Amino acid sequence: MANYAVVIDLHRCTGCGSCALGCKIENNVPEGIFWCDHIHQTTGVFPEVKYTFIPTMCNHCANAPCVEVCPVNPKAMFKAANGLTLHDVDLCIGCRLCEEACPYGAIFYNEEEPHKFWRDDQPLIRNLTASPREVTERVKGKVLPYYNPDRDTTYPGIRPKNKVEKCSLCDHRLSHGLEPYCNEVCPSAARFFGDLDDANSKVSQLLRKYPHFRLGEELGTEPKVYYIRQYNP
Amino acid sequence: MAEKEKRGLKRRTFLKMTGAALAAAVLSSGCSPRTPEETEGDVTDVITKEAVRPLAQGEWIPSGCAGCVSWCAKEVYVVEGRAIKIRSNARSLVHRGNSCPKTHLALQQVYDPDRVKVPMKRTNPRKGRHEDPGFVPISWDEAAEMIAEKLMELREHKETHKFVLMRGRYTQLNQLLYGRMPAILGSPNNISHSSICAEAEKFGSMYTEGYWDYRDYDVENTKYVLVWGCDPLSSNRQVSHYLNAWGDLLERAEVAVVDPRLSATASKANHWLPVKPGEDAALALALAHVILVDGLWSREFVGDFSDGVNRFAAGETVPEGLFEENYTYGLIAWWNLELKDCTPEWAAERTGIAANKIRLVARRMGEMAPHVIVWLGGGPAMQVRGAYTAMAVHALNGLLGSADNTGGTIRGASVPSKSFPAVDDYLDEITSAGRKHKKIDQRGYKEFPALANANPGSGVVTNRVADAILAEDPYDVKVVFAYWNNFNFSCPEPERWDKAMAKVPFFVHAVTHASEMSMFADLVLPSTHHMFEQWGYLNQKGNGYTHCWLARPLIEPVWDCKDPETEVVWLIAEKLAAKGFTNLLDYCKSIKDPETGAEPQTGLELAEFACKYRLQPIWDPAEYVRGDRFNGWEDFKAAGVWNSPKYTFKTKWDDFGTASGKFEFYSLTLQKALEAHAANHNTTVDDILAICKYLATGEKAFVPHYEPPYIWGEEEEYPLVLVDYKSRMNREGRSANCNWYYEFKDTDPGDERWDDVAKINPRDAAKLGLAGGERVRLISPTGALECTLKLWEGVPPGTVSKTFGQGHWAYGRIAALNFHQRIPRGGNNNDVLPADYERLSGSSAFYALTRVRIETI
Repeated sequence: MANYAVVIDLHRCTGCGSCALGCKIENNVPEGIFWCDHIHQTTGVFPEVKYTFIPTMCNHCANAPCVEVCPVNPKAMFKAANGLTLHDVDLCIGCRLCEEACPYGAIFYNEEEPHKFWRDDQPLIRNLTASPREVTERVKGKVLPYYNPDRDTTYPGIRPKNKVEKCSLCDHRLSHGLEPYCNEVCPSAARFFGDLDDANSKVSQLLRKYPHFRLGEELGTEPKVYYIRQYNP
Repeated sequence: MAEKEKRGLKRRTFLKMTGAALAAAVLSSGCSPRTPEETEGDVTDVITKEAVRPLAQGEWIPSGCAGCVSWCAKEVYVVEGRAIKIRSNARSLVHRGNSCPKTHLALQQVYDPDRVKVPMKRTNPRKGRHEDPGFVPISWDEAAEMIAEKLMELREHKETHKFVLMRGRYTQLNQLLYGRMPAILGSPNNISHSSICAEAEKFGSMYTEGYWDYRDYDVENTKYVLVWGCDPLSSNRQVSHYLNAWGDLLERAEVAVVDPRLSATASKANHWLPVKPGEDAALALALAHVILVDGLWSREFVGDFSDGVNRFAAGETVPEGLFEENYTYGLIAWWNLELKDCTPEWAAERTGIAANKIRLVARRMGEMAPHVIVWLGGGPAMQVRGAYTAMAVHALNGLLGSADNTGGTIRGASVPSKSFPAVDDYLDEITSAGRKHKKIDQRGYKEFPALANANPGSGVVTNRVADAILAEDPYDVKVVFAYWNNFNFSCPEPERWDKAMAKVPFFVHAVTHASEMSMFADLVLPSTHHMFEQWGYLNQKGNGYTHCWLARPLIEPVWDCKDPETEVVWLIAEKLAAKGFTNLLDYCKSIKDPETGAEPQTGLELAEFACKYRLQPIWDPAEYVRGDRFNGWEDFKAAGVWNSPKYTFKTKWDDFGTASGKFEFYSLTLQKALEAHAANHNTTVDDILAICKYLATGEKAFVPHYEPPYIWGEEEEYPLVLVDYKSRMNREGRSANCNWYYEFKDTDPGDERWDDVAKINPRDAAKLGLAGGERVRLISPTGALECTLKLWEGVPPGTVSKTFGQGHWAYGRIAALNFHQRIPRGGNNNDVLPADYERLSGSSAFYALTRVRIETI
């Protein structure tokens, strides 16, 4: 069974946000929720000032605090054999312990039905423009007019309220031999996905070639998202 | 809310933690990572948990993106009639498989609930920002009837010239609506948006190397890149290509960025040169000075002293006749008139860039010449006195021999295409007379030389049209048809446009959204979205290639929308024919299907035939010219994009198309143009320059030279210079109603999600007694806007930096904070920018244009 990891090359990253935008589209991610996200930072004093950008996501930690704290049996937040940290909505009781436990802020809770914007049935100008709900109904979408049905093959396409949701590293795509969508949409070729147990995989090669770090390494969570090189040249 | 706070707290804690970790930047060694230990009992094999369900069987259909002027070839993933994803059309050699972030926002544009669903008619005759237009739905037939009636009235009164067609974004089918329709209707007035884009930038390459266009860059082979006043990783052109190429570029070449703010590109560069706003020319001239004094110019391109002894020394005049130029003209004159005194120390005083830094950059460029790109953007050019700065910056490519050279600045290729038939056979006495009137935008007036193609009055002066309408100078305007534009938002001093459009008796606006400009319309025609719902094509250059992509209707239009460039022309033409004026319909019918010879029977057929007609030399093997080959229309449609052959270097060196045929440091081309304009007004070039707000006299008018910046407002009253720039998420002015725009606003360095921030340096904040996070008003001599203040070190003291893009008071429920009360979300930079111009090109000035003061609200 594979041991999946992501390597992000900060030298190649251009801070454009495509990864997180692509994630929104692929996974029907609601407004305000970011399965895929970023940290940016400005350091120094003008004119010696640097701006850096680090794409982030669920780290699919080997020692996942979110899994550890999940109180149900079997666990709603669980480790898959391929190293992914996945969430089973049917088992989830919405206790939010996982959200609290995650040191990376990568788990999100839907306090209300997600995609509130698209559930609105008020047009801006009566008879001349549409309501968001009307658009979705007209084009036969599902909550979203641009709803991606693929997401629903392994995880609810739109997650229910009173439950959490998080990145699954596009497990629905992996099962079909496709890359996670964040990697696919990255225009800068800065993201790599592969099997750490395969010495010939691109991720293994990159990690042998370059020094690397992971976020919150000192926490002992053993994240599966690795960063190589520096954002600033 | 409590949950949000809780989450927010968690994230802040995390950021603090990672901030410390990142600042330390301690990287582990290059050993293999530890294989994680799996926790027994928590492991499930997800793949075998249940049978793998099939993914949707959609189709990737070729199209293109006109969200910015990168004009990338795209494919749209359509599942059961819905567009759900966008990716690059990897057949394009311009950007290959690479895309950009803002293209994805097109999904939220096409499915935006606030799109206009049906044609709508104004019922309230009073027009104003705070007047409810009282729009009511009408049919397309009624709308076309109304337009035809107004056009026939113009004919009856022999004042067809009082019709004005305004264009914003477009496809190349605009040649029908913008190029041909006004002519057939008898009007000289097709007014583009071009001079609120970056025409003054084109001025730089036009009056040095005879190229009135944006350049391409041979990034693949370059060794030094000096990006100047643009942000190729965010906006400007071929963003998708550069997002991909940048990582490799940084491994191969040195990159410096001249910009008065820490841009996305500056954060990914070896050097950031934060020039003081408006002082770009001083920096460019000093770089040129060092290149000459240090003997770093390209001998191959520029030539040399006949005895090989370098006589360029600071302050020293060089006698003419000692230097033998190869492919350039006027080097010694330029040195003697201007460069000899432009020392790095002189420039340091003006630019704020240290003299030794200027020397370092010049020397590194000289070492790498000719494989150097001096990448001129709109920043230094679109200033009141920007024309000579644009020339000075671009002239560096001449000194270094990088123009039209490997690893340097290059050009695009022409796309094999046919023009629509000439209009001559479709004119009559009335329309011929109408066309002879002056254009409405005052181009060619003494104070608006607008020297686009070395001819006075050949360029457009877009923003002047509002004043021309108000002053009825050269005449009053009666009917306006505008499409895919929003001048009441996108032009400096937009309130002039409010007044002007309120004055126009009959205004038709063909757009996707009820925009600011639409609020003054008598008729709003719902437009198709270019990427998903209509035919069209666009061509663009990048990566040494030029491509041409084809869009087609790939989903059903979401609402009752029509393409203004073809379908609406057809409807108007039919109505005019019914009233006895058949010329426009006859003309439309002359655009036949090149394969069958069939005349179009509907507007939609016209749209497809128009693409086939213009692009026949691409898809028809019998008319093949160059580049990619296709076996017919369906073959080209399936590919969706044509590519030119790869650029060939040095083909222009023997004749740059300038007056001298050479790369001109002393511009005979500009001399000719300015003297022609002066002669038109029976005056001198000195007088023309003075009325255009330039200070130079004599021969300096013909060489790149320094002019102190012309900035509105006195420092005492307005302490900070505004630095205006484009957001990475801007699809020009059309993405502000997408919620992803705001969710990803923080990808603009220094900006915040769901906010519009004016950024000042913390030192200025302390001096001015201001704090970050405050709601503030930015006030300039011509207007004010409201936004949030942010303190940020990426902004030089003395400036306030803010992205353009927000501040809509119309457009939709997100773009405006309150659409019905006309309350904007954020502030529109144009509200503080004076309507001033770089007049030699006709451009609106946007940069180093005004000072502002900041007041807390």
